[in-house]
Amino acid sequence: MTIRTDPEGNETEALFGMVELDGAEILEIGCGDGRLTWRYADRAARVTAIEPFGDSIARAEERLRQTNFPVDFRHVNFEDFAGASDADVFDVALLSWSLC
Amino acid sequence: MVDALEEIHRLLRPAGTLIEIHPAVDPPPFVEVRSNRERFFSEDDPVFDYEDDLRHADAAVEAVLDRGMFVLDDRRRFELRTYAASVKELRDHWAFVGAYDPEEPEETLQRRRDEMYARAREVLERSRGGELVYVEPATMSRLTPSGLLER
Repeated sequence: MTIRTDPEGNETEALFGMVELDGAEILEIGCGDGRLTWRYADRAARVTAIEPFGDSIARAEERLRQTNFPVDFRHVNFEDFAGASDADVFDVALLSWSLC
Repeated sequence: MVDALEEIHRLLRPAGTLIEIHPAVDPPPFVEVRSNRERFFSEDDPVFDYEDDLRHADAAVEAVLDRGMFVLDDRRRFELRTYAASVKELRDHWAFVGAYDPEEPEETLQRRRDEMYARAREVLERSRGGELVYVEPATMSRLTPSGLLER
């Protein structure tokens, strides 16, 4: 047996019930190892997924390497990313387990 | 945290959406042993020592709502469940993904966690086809920029 996280899809069911992701420009802040990213990225026009921990972002990239999902992973903290970003560019910002 | 939410407000388009997900303060995460929908074991994770961080996250969201920066459209509760065949598999997984705070929990809490997992292991080994489940109750909020602030 291998580890299974949210096989019931509780998190994605809540997410998809709350926001329209089809064709959206999405910013995921604190994507970790991409646990959630790969579950929704195929719906998006583009995902910018940022994560301050190098090991985690490397695993996220590895996890999505075999897909054609439009994800741009960036190893950067939010403060630096926001400081270098224009305003009014994302349709959805996703703070997944990263505000605390 | 409020500063981060302000920055997110700036990055979002006026009709954009912020989805904020974080673990719930109450109930805390807990461990179960289950088999065929039957629950044989359930105990809270003793190393739930980030309650203050979660309360600060709640307070930051409430602060930006109070300031009129965002409007709360929807809030839902759900459980994020992680399944493993053994205690070792689950703990190896947490270590691999770095899910725990890099700081070691205090010795007393760590010992209580070890004891809890020992009890879970005993139950798991007696159960037929049982699985270990780590359950994290969580809250998901949908917030939209109110448009009341200067952008």
